[in-house]
Amino acid sequence: MNIIRAFLRSAARAIAAVPLLGLALFAQLVPTPAVAVDTLNVYSIWPENWARPMFEEFEKATGIKVNFVRFSSGEALARVIAEKNNPRVDVLFGGPVETFAAGIGEGLFEPYKPPSFASLPPRFRHADGQWIAIADDPLVFMSNDKFIKENGLKAPTSWNDLLAPAYKNMLQMADARTSGTAVTRIFSVLEVNGRDENKAFDYMKKLRPNVQLYTKSGGGGTLPVGLGQAGAGIFFIVDALDTKAKGYEVTISFPKEGIGTAAEGIALLKGAKNPALGKKLIDWATSPAMQGLFAKYKINFVPAHPDVALEPSLAAVLQGAKIFPIDADYAGANRKRIVDRWIAEVLNP
Amino acid sequence: MNATGRWKAATTGMRNDPAVAAAVFVLWALLALFVVYPLAMLLARVLTDNGAFTTAGLAAVLSDRHQIRAFGNSLLLALMVGTAGTVLGFLFAFTAARGRLPRWLLTAIDVAVLLPLVSPPFTTAIAMIFSFGPRGLITYDLLGLKGVTVYGLTSTFFSEVLTFFPIAYLTLRPLLAAIDSNVEGMAFSLGASRWRVFRTVTLPLTIPGLANAFLLLFAASLADFATPLILAGNQFPVLPTQAYLQITGLFDLRGGAALSFALLLPALAVFLLQRYWVSRRYYVTITGKGAGQTPFDSISPAMRAVLLAACAAVALVVVYFYVLLLYASLVVALGANHAFTLQHYRTIFSDGLKAIRDTLIIAALAMPLGGLYGILLGYLVTKKSFVGRRTMELVSMINYALPGTIVGIAYLIAFNEPPLELTGTALIIIACYIFRYGPTGIRATVALLQQIDKSLEEASQGLGAGSGVTFRRVTLPLIMPAFFAGLGVVFIRSMTAISATIFLVSISWTLITVKILENITELSLGPAAAFSVLVVAIVFAVIAIIGRVLHLFRAPGAMPMTSLLGG
Repeated sequence: MNIIRAFLRSAARAIAAVPLLGLALFAQLVPTPAVAVDTLNVYSIWPENWARPMFEEFEKATGIKVNFVRFSSGEALARVIAEKNNPRVDVLFGGPVETFAAGIGEGLFEPYKPPSFASLPPRFRHADGQWIAIADDPLVFMSNDKFIKENGLKAPTSWNDLLAPAYKNMLQMADARTSGTAVTRIFSVLEVNGRDENKAFDYMKKLRPNVQLYTKSGGGGTLPVGLGQAGAGIFFIVDALDTKAKGYEVTISFPKEGIGTAAEGIALLKGAKNPALGKKLIDWATSPAMQGLFAKYKINFVPAHPDVALEPSLAAVLQGAKIFPIDADYAGANRKRIVDRWIAEVLNP
Repeated sequence: MNATGRWKAATTGMRNDPAVAAAVFVLWALLALFVVYPLAMLLARVLTDNGAFTTAGLAAVLSDRHQIRAFGNSLLLALMVGTAGTVLGFLFAFTAARGRLPRWLLTAIDVAVLLPLVSPPFTTAIAMIFSFGPRGLITYDLLGLKGVTVYGLTSTFFSEVLTFFPIAYLTLRPLLAAIDSNVEGMAFSLGASRWRVFRTVTLPLTIPGLANAFLLLFAASLADFATPLILAGNQFPVLPTQAYLQITGLFDLRGGAALSFALLLPALAVFLLQRYWVSRRYYVTITGKGAGQTPFDSISPAMRAVLLAACAAVALVVVYFYVLLLYASLVVALGANHAFTLQHYRTIFSDGLKAIRDTLIIAALAMPLGGLYGILLGYLVTKKSFVGRRTMELVSMINYALPGTIVGIAYLIAFNEPPLELTGTALIIIACYIFRYGPTGIRATVALLQQIDKSLEEASQGLGAGSGVTFRRVTLPLIMPAFFAGLGVVFIRSMTAISATIFLVSISWTLITVKILENITELSLGPAAAFSVLVVAIVFAVIAIIGRVLHLFRAPGAMPMTSLLGG
């Protein structure tokens, strides 16, 4: 039995070594913030292909390296809430401000007012500095050219155009349970109906048979529309222009009744391990230093800072469009109730 | 032996062997830490509100009619996938075992069948989206159909069957191969028709295997999160995706955990059925005594042609999906610009390099530890007697039987704060893999050790070999396949799993599968396809190496691969 015993002994030793190995991993493979002084940790809600160039430019400008991981707005917020007592990151970057508004109630953020604070219009900043806007992102209608042509339609220019029978089962838009895009859309419908909730919900219920799929993420429907798997949809302009840039034949249009826009935010987390570095990123991101780079990297957000000029081709797209901001107070106060009603009456009638 | 006697024998056994005692102690500590503790923390979160006990959170979610519908949908889908997948798996297994196919054709079938099993999640789902629907390659371009909907029960069902039927195939094929064809031959020579032989001899002998395959598929479908997330649409919500949405969309951790717990009941029932009922009813066992094989043609040439055609049709669908995937990884933008490019591969090897590196490091560390954990625990519970042996075996299976979403959330809750601050490290992902997929190695070890007739070891000793030589030359080679199988499964799952680990990735450690999901939601289809192709290539390479190693031990390697479950 010696061999068995020797085998078991070495096996036991190996297993006992597991925690040691864990320590070794800790020490060698995990870059601990304590060691790397000029490293900032960030959850980005912006997709990697936009966040990465921004953070590289930030490093060039300040020498501060940004470690980041990308999550959708819902995942990012769920994580920040789960990690509340011991935050893993310093800054929450990008994503619609209504996500940040939801986080204020959870006590997630450390108020901070960057130098740009005074220059920003009120709707681009939280009064106490819980969040600051870094960009603005209007909604648009996006339709597939071939679908429009085959059905003898024109690119939709009114909310009511989307009710046409030709669109039956051919629209894709975001699911209000997971997507800020959807919440902005629903509040847009409320706004164009004069905040008459019953009228707005009547419209959404009438639209329901034309909706093929409510997607998990705001941009989830852009590829199907690009491919013609869906005929049209309602998206943020940044996603719609990205689809067009990829080569898909789509048309962007605006409803004459008007459509809402949502600001994208940034915030410092309460209990952040590197608050000073986090503030530097917020200073940079809310200033023309970052927002002037959108055009260079073909990021089609509208800059939030008034000193940054709108890029000409983006300005051409927005020419003549009727765009209104969503009232943050009204939306914040009614969001949960409206979304619950949407789930009960529109999504699962 | 009465209870005291058994206790005494057990404790004496431990006292006699300090190495065993130490190993048992360490294993219990690890199980308590990585299986029991997270689950207890999750339960505490579900059942308390500001420190007070309450079932209100649970009740609110479970009485919601939409969630009840999702629960019903989950069961319906699992039932359908279980049935259809078992039938399809049997078709392939029967054709492979009885069809007298040439070697190259068998290999071709194996490859086609393994593809969906070793792929990252979403791959079939995405291919489905491209192929069906209003402008699908098949529905529109090929068949000219209009207004077809791709989202819903039908396509989720179709996609899951294609993804999971290989489990049934791998369960049934060794079983059919092991049925002594002499028995069938005898029935045939006694005048029974081929159909009668099949119906009265072959099929009854396969029934336990069919039941086993059905339960495995049922569990796999029940826990599947990736396919419904893409394909189920709004008309057919299922529970794992609802739990995910509850947490990530409505920021309701308690509700999400409660929904996961609703999945626990059927998952556990299936697991216990499979473990304690079906596995006891296997009629075919491997003994040392060989029997001469009389050739017997159990299927007629016409039947053989029909079976082959059916298999070829299914294999063709699988291959078509993967060709589409490969194609998507090599063109600028599928559906818009079909110019050839290597750009997506450049992207994944630059921007995605960290994910690839992290995934490989984690898989490489989890692999040997998972394999070792499997044989050690398997060996101890089979060959050593100590207190709580059965309990240990059962506890070790918990993370394996639970849907991944539950395990992931439980780890996130349990390990975010001191004293056990593991979130953000690779260790939390590695531990998740070891305790979630290591059980395959445990089961393989137990099964192999139980098959070793005591007479084999006795014979060895009777012929003059010492116990050391016997262990080294008889026992060890017999459990080595289990070691490599366990190791292989942990590796494959480390490369392809997402349901648990989507909650465990961090700033420092990310995974390829999470990148794929992100790319899909950001409509970067090319990089998603390129990542998937890379994963399939790596996994196939590793399987080939493990197969080679197993071959050295001249032992059947297919058997333990049947448990490549989860998602």
